[in-house]
Amino acid sequence: MTAKSGDPVSPTADASTPSTPSKSTQRVPAPESPQAIQTRFRVIAAFWAVIIFLGFPIWWQTTSIYRAHLPIQEMVDWADGKTCRPVYPLEIQVVAPSLQLPESQHLLRTTQHTLDDLNEFAAHHLRLKLTNDTNGSPARAGNDGTDTSDSNSEDAPDVALTVHVRPEEGLLAPRSELQPHTTQLDVFYPPSQIPSPSTSNPPLSIFIAQELQRLYGEEKATIAHILSGETTGLDSASPELTESISRRLRRSMKYAETYHLSFSLFTPGSAPSSWDIEGAVQEYLAPLLDAFSPISNFTIDTQVQLYATFSPMTPAPVYDEVEAAWTLKKEDLSAFINAAEWPLNPSIGSGPTLNFILYVPDPSQSPMIVKENRASSWIVPQWGGVFLLNPPLAQGQTSNPVYLEQDSLQSAFKTFSHQLLTLLGTPSTPSSLPLRLQTLIRVRAASLLLSASSTMGSLARLTESLPSIPIPANVASSVSTTLSHLSATCSHLREGRFNAALASARVAENEAERSFFEKTMVGQVYFPDEHKVAVYLPLLGPIGVPLVVGLMKEVKRLVAAWKARKRV
Amino acid sequence: MTTFGFLSLLLALAVTLWSPNAFASSDYHEQLFLQPLPQSSLLASFNFRSNTSQQAFDNQHFRYFPRALGQILQHAHTKELHLRFTTGRWDAESWGPRPWGGSKEGGTGVELWAWIDAPDDDEAFGKWIALTQSLSGLFCASLNFVDSTRTTRPVVSFEPTGDHQDVDELHLLHGTLPGEVVCTENLTPFLKLLPCKGKAGISTLFDGHKLFDAAWQSMSVDMRPICTSDGDCIVQIEQTIDMVLDVERSKRPRSNPIPRPLANELLACDTSKPYNSEDTCFPLEKGADAAWSISEVFGRTLTGVCPLTGSDGSQEHSVCLRVPHEKQVFITEGSTEIKKEDGFTRCFDLAPAQPFDLSIPEQTIDIPVPGEEPILYAERTIVGHGQERGGMRIIFGNPSNTTAVDFILFESLPWFLRPYIHTLQATITGRDGIPTDIAASDLVTSTFYRPAIDRERGTQLEIALSVPAASTVTLTYDFEKAILRYTEYPPDANRGFNVAPAVIRILNGENSAPVYIRSTSLLLPLPTPDFSMPYNVIILTSTVIALAFGTVFNILVRRVVSVDEAAALGAQSLKGRLLGKLVAIRDRFRSKTTKVE
Repeated sequence: MTAKSGDPVSPTADASTPSTPSKSTQRVPAPESPQAIQTRFRVIAAFWAVIIFLGFPIWWQTTSIYRAHLPIQEMVDWADGKTCRPVYPLEIQVVAPSLQLPESQHLLRTTQHTLDDLNEFAAHHLRLKLTNDTNGSPARAGNDGTDTSDSNSEDAPDVALTVHVRPEEGLLAPRSELQPHTTQLDVFYPPSQIPSPSTSNPPLSIFIAQELQRLYGEEKATIAHILSGETTGLDSASPELTESISRRLRRSMKYAETYHLSFSLFTPGSAPSSWDIEGAVQEYLAPLLDAFSPISNFTIDTQVQLYATFSPMTPAPVYDEVEAAWTLKKEDLSAFINAAEWPLNPSIGSGPTLNFILYVPDPSQSPMIVKENRASSWIVPQWGGVFLLNPPLAQGQTSNPVYLEQDSLQSAFKTFSHQLLTLLGTPSTPSSLPLRLQTLIRVRAASLLLSASSTMGSLARLTESLPSIPIPANVASSVSTTLSHLSATCSHLREGRFNAALASARVAENEAERSFFEKTMVGQVYFPDEHKVAVYLPLLGPIGVPLVVGLMKEVKRLVAAWKARKRV
Repeated sequence: MTTFGFLSLLLALAVTLWSPNAFASSDYHEQLFLQPLPQSSLLASFNFRSNTSQQAFDNQHFRYFPRALGQILQHAHTKELHLRFTTGRWDAESWGPRPWGGSKEGGTGVELWAWIDAPDDDEAFGKWIALTQSLSGLFCASLNFVDSTRTTRPVVSFEPTGDHQDVDELHLLHGTLPGEVVCTENLTPFLKLLPCKGKAGISTLFDGHKLFDAAWQSMSVDMRPICTSDGDCIVQIEQTIDMVLDVERSKRPRSNPIPRPLANELLACDTSKPYNSEDTCFPLEKGADAAWSISEVFGRTLTGVCPLTGSDGSQEHSVCLRVPHEKQVFITEGSTEIKKEDGFTRCFDLAPAQPFDLSIPEQTIDIPVPGEEPILYAERTIVGHGQERGGMRIIFGNPSNTTAVDFILFESLPWFLRPYIHTLQATITGRDGIPTDIAASDLVTSTFYRPAIDRERGTQLEIALSVPAASTVTLTYDFEKAILRYTEYPPDANRGFNVAPAVIRILNGENSAPVYIRSTSLLLPLPTPDFSMPYNVIILTSTVIALAFGTVFNILVRRVVSVDEAAALGAQSLKGRLLGKLVAIRDRFRSKTTKVE
C-alpha cells in the first residue's frame, strides 16, 4: 500500500547524471493537513487504548493466579523462635506425712532453693508443691502418672512426680527408691535428720534436690539439645550423654499417631516355618504398647518368609574358630537386609512402619553373631531392628525346628521391645517406665512444636521466593489453624499441661504438613515461555511491529512539535 | 480328533475345589500336570494353593498367605479377588477344551474382578480404585489405569466362588486392560507370593524366558473365603500358571535361539511325489511325537519338593504326567513312579532336595489318550471398513449333535465404540452349510444392557443365548467410532485401540464348576488426526489475522502520495540519504575504473 517504490535513483538517471539527483526532477508533496495528522494520531491512540484498557486487563485477569493472604511475618517469627520460648515447669508433689507442717514447709523451701541453685537450664525447672493429703490426689497421680490430665481438672498442671518423704529407723544417710511402675519416688531419711526450721541447708533437702536433678538430668539435656538445634545443649552435660542423646534422636522415628509394627521371621532354608507369634506378642509386647497408648497407636502384622537368602552383594558370614561361631562384620550389617528380595514393603495406611526381623540362620551357619561385640541384634536407624535367633540344634539333628515355641521367642521379643523404645525416642533413664513416657511426651511436644514452626517458616519462604505458585484458600486456613495450635501448645507448656500440649502440637504438625504439601500449589501443566512465544510469534510479530512503529513515529512527531513550539 | 482327557481331569479337580464342602486339611499344596498336546505342544499346569484361618488373616498374622497381598485386600475391604495375566491365544480347534474349564484364565492382557464389601456403590468404587492402585504397585502392572471407563459391574456373568456371609453388602467390580503386555516383571512378584519362592518344589521351573515364549500362558491369583457348615472359615489363596509350550521351539538352546534349516540328508522326504529330487523335497509328517525332557523344555530341572506340602502325610504327588502307560518315561533316580488305574495318568513321588528330571523318548504309540471336545467354539472379529462405522461379528459353534448350549455373552466395550443394539442380527448355519437369517430374539433369552456415557463409563452388554445342537450361530451388530479429543489419544494412536475380549460363561447345570471361554482381544482403528494440527492451526490463524490487521492498520495510518513525491520523501528520510551516499560512492569508484581504462 505504500507509495514509496523503486530506487530513489532511477537507472536512467544513473547513466546520464552521476551526481546526486537534482531537486528539479522531484516534487516534494504538499505538507499534510493538520486534520490528517490529527486523524492518524487518533487512530493510533485508539488502537493503543484498546490494547491498554481491554487487552492487558483481560490478559492479566485470565493468567493471574489466586494467592491467598498468608501471615508471612508471623510465620517467620515462629520459625525464628521469636514468638514462643518453650518452657517446662514440672510440678512435683511432696508428701511428708510424718513431718509437722512448718517442718515440711521449711524442707520444701530449702529444697526448692537448692534445686534452683543447681538448675542451669532455665526453660526446664522443677516446682515443688506440698500435699499432705496422702490418700488423695498424689496417690492417684502417682499410681498412673501418664493419665494425670484426665484425672486433674482442665487448668491444673500435670503432676510429674510424687515424692514421699518417710522416716526410716536405722539409716545413717537418706536414701531414695524409685518405684518402677509408678511415678513415685520414696525418700527415706533417718529420723534424727528431721530438718529444723533453723538450719539453712539441711542435708535432706540437698539430698532430695540432687536426686531430682539426677532423675531429670537426661530429659533436661535432651530438651536443651532439641531446642538449641543440634549444637550442644547444656554445658554441664557430659560429652557421653550429649553423644548418646544425639544418637538416640538420629535413630528415632519421626513422631506419628499410628505406627505399624511388622514382625518378620526370615530363614534361608525351609525351617522354621511357623512360630507362636500370637502368644509372643500378647505376652511380651502388649503391656508395653498399652503403656504407649496415650502417645501413639500401634498396629501389628507378622509374616513368615522362607528361602530368604542374602543379596549377592553381601559379604558372607565368616567362621570364627575362637568364638566357634559364624560372624558378621559390623560394617557389613547395613547390607544384611536383602531389600530387593525380602518382602518388607511398608504397611498400607497412614503412619510409618517399623520392621522387626527375626533371622534364623541355616544350621550350617549357626550360631551367627556380630564379630566385634558378639551381639545378636542391632537397630537399623529409623527403620527397625534385627535379631539373630540361633535355635539350639537337637543332638545329631541337622535342621532347625519347624515350630518356634513362645519360650524360644522370649529373648527376641525382649530385644524387640527394647529396640521399639529406642526407635520411638524414649530416653534411657530413669528406670521408671511411666516417668520415661512422660519425658517422651515432653520431648515429643518440643520436637513437634519446632518442626511445625520450621515448616511454617519454609512455607513462608517458599511463597516469597516463588511468586508464580498459587496459594489456595485452604492453605491459608491450615496456616491459621497451625498458628493457633502452636500458640496453644506454647501456653499449655508454660502452664505445665504436657498432655494437652502434645495434643495441640500434633494438630499443628498435621496442619502444617498439609499446608506445605498442598497438591494444587504445584502446577499441573508446564509450558515454558519460549514455547508460548514460538507458537504465538506469527500473530504477535506482524501485529506488534506496525503498532510499535506507529507509536514511535507519533511520539517523535509530538516531541518535535513540542520542541518547535518551545522554540517559538 | 485328538484327545483331551487330561483337561477333563483338571476340570474334575476344579469341580472338587469349587464345591464348598470339600477343602483339603493341609495348608499348602502344589501340583504340576504335564500333558503333551497335538502339534508337538506341551501343556504345563502349575497350581499352588494355601489356606489361612480367617482369624489369623484378620489379625494380620501371615504365614502362607502373602503379607503384601493380605494387607491390600484388608485395606480395600475385598472379600474375594480374581486376578489374571494372560498372553497368547488358546487354540481350541486343535488343543480342545481349556484347562480348569477356563475358570483360571483371563482375557489377553490383565483382567481383575473382585467382590468388595461396601455400603453403597460409590464407596465400593472408591475401594476398587484403592485396590487397583495397590495391586498395580504389587504386580508391576498398569492396573492403576483401570478407571471408571474400564470398570463394569457384571450382573449374571460371574458368581462368587467363596462362602460369604452378607452377600447384600458385596459389590462385584470387573476391570480389564487388554493392551497390557504381560512379562517377567509380573512373574517376579507372582513368585514372591509363593511360600517357597521358586527356590524349592515345582516353582523352580519358572523361567521368564520360557514362560513368556509360550504359545499361550495364563497366570492367575484367586483369593476367597471358604467356610464349613459349623462356621469355621479359612481364607484360601490359589495361584496357577498354565502354559502351552511349543516343544521344538523351547528345546532351542538359549545360546543359539535362531532356528536353522535341517541339512538335506536329514530331511524325511515324501519320495512318492513326482517332483522329489535332490533339491526338491516334500517333508513327511513325523509319525512319532517329539522326544522331550523337563530340563530341555523348561531350561532347568525341578529341585525337590517344597517342604511345606503334605505336612499332614496325605498322599499327594506334586508332579503328574498324562501319557499312555505304554509310553516310556525315564525319571531321575530316587523318585518313584505311580501309575494310575485309568491307564493314562502317572504321578511321581520326588526325593526332597534332589534335582528331578523326566524325559520321554521319541516313540510311536497308537493308543490315543481319550478326550473330549470343547462345549462351544467362539470367535469374535471386527468387520466393516472406513473411519466412521464398523461392525462386530461373533461366531458360536456348537459341536454337539444332541444338546443345545446355553451361555451368557459378556462384552465390556470402551466408550468410544458405540454399539447400535437395534442392529443385533443372528444367522444360523446348520451342518448343511446353508445360512438362515433369524430374529435375534429367537436365540436371546435375556439381555442386560448398560449404555456407555462418553468419557465416564463403557458399554456393558450381557446376553443370555442358546445355540441349538449341530449348528453355528453368527451374531452381528453395528457400531459407530467416536472421535476423541486431542489429548485422549495414546502415543501410539495409529496402532489402534484395544477392545477387551468377550467373556462367555457356559451354563451347564446348577452344581457343576463354571466353564468360561474368552475370545481374543480386538484392535479397533479410530480416526486419528495429524498431531501437529493444533500448532498448524494456531500458526495459520495467526498469519491470517496478522495479514488482515496489517492491511487495515496500514490503510488507516499510512499517507498516500504519488510515486515521484515518494522519491522526494524517500531522499529526505534516513534510508534515502544512506542510499544516496552509497550511490555516490559507487559512482566515484566506477568513474575511477573508467579513467584507468
